[in-house]
Amino acid sequence: MSVVEYDIVVIGAGVAGLTAGARLAEHGYRVALVTTGEPTACLSTGCIDLCANGARPLYAARELPREHPLHLVSDTDIAEAFGRFLEVMRERGRVYTGSLEHNRCVLSALGTLKTTCLTPAGMAASPQSDNEVIRIITFSGLKDFYPKYILSRFAHASFSSYDAGASTTMGIASRLERDEYLEAFIVWLEKLDIRENKIGLPAVLGMKNTAEVIRRIESRLERPVFEIPTLPPSMPGRRLFNDLKDHFRNKGGDIFWSWPVVGVEKAGGLIEAVFTRTEGKPNSLNARAFVLATGSFVGGGLTATRQTITENVFDLPVHVPSGREGWFDEDYFSPDHRIGKVGVCVDSSFRPEHSHWENIFVCGGILAHAQILKNGCGHGLSLATGYAAAGSCAEYLK
Amino acid sequence: MNFEHCIRCTICVENCPVFRVNPDFPGPKQAGPDAERFRSHREKTVDDWVLLCSQCKRCEMSCPCGVEPAQIILRAQQRYGMEHPYSPAHLLFANNYYLSGLGSLTAPLANRIAATATGKKIFNAMGIATTIPFPKFSFRTLKKQKKVRGRSVRKVAFFYGCFINFYRPDIGRKIIQILSALNVDVVLPPQWCCGLPALGNGNLTLARSFALKNAASLADYIDAGYDILYSCTSCGLCLLEDYQEILEIPQAKKIAEHSYDLHEYILKIINDDDIQLEFGQVGRKLAYHIPCHLRALKIGYPAAKLMRRIPGLTCEILDDACCGLSGSYGFKKSNEGTARQLGERAVLLIQKTGAEAIVADCGSCRMQLSGHSGMPAFDPAEILFESLGLEQKNRAKK
Repeated sequence: MSVVEYDIVVIGAGVAGLTAGARLAEHGYRVALVTTGEPTACLSTGCIDLCANGARPLYAARELPREHPLHLVSDTDIAEAFGRFLEVMRERGRVYTGSLEHNRCVLSALGTLKTTCLTPAGMAASPQSDNEVIRIITFSGLKDFYPKYILSRFAHASFSSYDAGASTTMGIASRLERDEYLEAFIVWLEKLDIRENKIGLPAVLGMKNTAEVIRRIESRLERPVFEIPTLPPSMPGRRLFNDLKDHFRNKGGDIFWSWPVVGVEKAGGLIEAVFTRTEGKPNSLNARAFVLATGSFVGGGLTATRQTITENVFDLPVHVPSGREGWFDEDYFSPDHRIGKVGVCVDSSFRPEHSHWENIFVCGGILAHAQILKNGCGHGLSLATGYAAAGSCAEYLK
Repeated sequence: MNFEHCIRCTICVENCPVFRVNPDFPGPKQAGPDAERFRSHREKTVDDWVLLCSQCKRCEMSCPCGVEPAQIILRAQQRYGMEHPYSPAHLLFANNYYLSGLGSLTAPLANRIAATATGKKIFNAMGIATTIPFPKFSFRTLKKQKKVRGRSVRKVAFFYGCFINFYRPDIGRKIIQILSALNVDVVLPPQWCCGLPALGNGNLTLARSFALKNAASLADYIDAGYDILYSCTSCGLCLLEDYQEILEIPQAKKIAEHSYDLHEYILKIINDDDIQLEFGQVGRKLAYHIPCHLRALKIGYPAAKLMRRIPGLTCEILDDACCGLSGSYGFKKSNEGTARQLGERAVLLIQKTGAEAIVADCGSCRMQLSGHSGMPAFDPAEILFESLGLEQKNRAKK
């Protein structure tokens, strides 16, 4: 058997897992991160929500129901987690805009304005009201992006379409990172003689060097350019994931890909090791502490059957609203489906409640009562709880 | 996990290097799980684009649901291969083992012919690309190496693979010396091509015949108390994964249970026997290109862990880019553009690190990357050899 020793094993490569992992690695611990695949963060818009129920995110977060997991994180820790995130992103050339004091708007591909807290550089110039005068540029053949949705909600919007020779977000994004393509695109834009105040494009402005692509377009067109998040493949989500991943690795963390945890070794009140499925000899990672950041259903942290809902790695107790009929609302589009409350309850040190494991720390979307869709707290919850759970874990290992 | 587990999130598509540059390839989601629904065994396959998949396995590494698109596609490739005549290039590369044997026997002549303009013309006419130079045949193959045997407790049978045997036996000899220095007995068991080139060229029958011979030989050594060691990550992945899944070799499970990557094994014995290795200074700045198949082995990056202990060495890990060659894949005229574009991108990322040399476990990655960059490319074992001062010790002995 191949046994590898670490101080901490983080399970899950999403925003929570990478944030917790990086913080622990910064403390000097040997951290391994295992993941089944790439996280749902890759499918996200790259925006960081904290709480979308109002104009002031931190204030709104404090108004959330008492059991919401954001209440486990102090104001100072939230500020530190966000501050550290902004700093890390800035170091990597990805400047985020926004603060804990004011929510911002981002234009969606449906033409609606969505509330969020921090926006990536590409969306800094996103319109803040539907009165703004904007020109939408789309790419011929691009699936799932129809500017007319936006036009129907904006009084002063028009659109043009460019043939980039590719019809997928990835294909266009990788082309726009090449000088000759970008130049041809800019020349075409210049010929349009755009009079509108801002130019909006689907989020395809480069896979990595978005800031540079935007800077070049803006300097020639002399007006702000903004990206509109698309359905997956979502470039802004991928950029966020790549940056967090590189940061974690730069701090000395090791990543094990395609490493679903299928078994656990326990002794007394401690988890000692996790195993993965392999073709031959069992592959296990030993550690003194484990951070569980596997997300909820789509992320792979929870599985629902007809009768019950289980946590997939440690089989921790899961908070489930009683009676299956109580899981869902009558209205399909309701943000208040109670299944959004399902998850693992934790105490103030982020250890799972109603279980005797001393060395498991839980963070991110798997936490009970989060109701991410209803409260608009995705990514922000992961950042805050990932940061705080790492603090608690470091305290335990001291 | 079968194709029904696909939730169509497109994360695999985002990770597919071929999809990024070749619009003819529909991507792993469509070529894998999506198309699988329509594949009927009563009808002849017509999808020649399945051959465009390079089998890098990045889709499998990134799938959050554990679906294995590359394997679905690999099966489709075998079927296509059986139902259609082979192109000359496919036939040649499937039989690379025999060809290389011939090449090594006539090394001085074969190397000279391969480098001439006429030689290149002949290759091109057969559908073989000559963007990067062919590796040079070595007359003194590793097979001809005399056996090293002592009385150590640890015994390994070294599956060196075709690349080391025919092109770089010097690396093989260095590996044997490293292991001897760690008091490990090394034997070179009778062995043939692992079968991967045949699989990659749609020749299931040939792959199976190679695999059966290897399996019988390796199983004998395992019964005699040997562990199997591989240093080529693609051979390793084939032994561990394809022998069980695709080729259905009877002894496959036993082989998988007893096979180790070279560096994984070194780490294991350092750990088990508490060996204090004296790593000497290596004043190099390296970029460690992680071969796709090393990721797919799910053992982490053991060579990186070893190199981290070497004083004076800086080594940046790069695992976002596929080199594009994928063994014989990139040598085919039809994949030349794909391989070149991916190679250039990988080289760009390497150059950004400011490294002076490349390090990679896979011979074909090294060939491609140094071919495109002009930089020297090392096997991690060579760096280890240098650090352990075995060169000097050799000289001292003489």
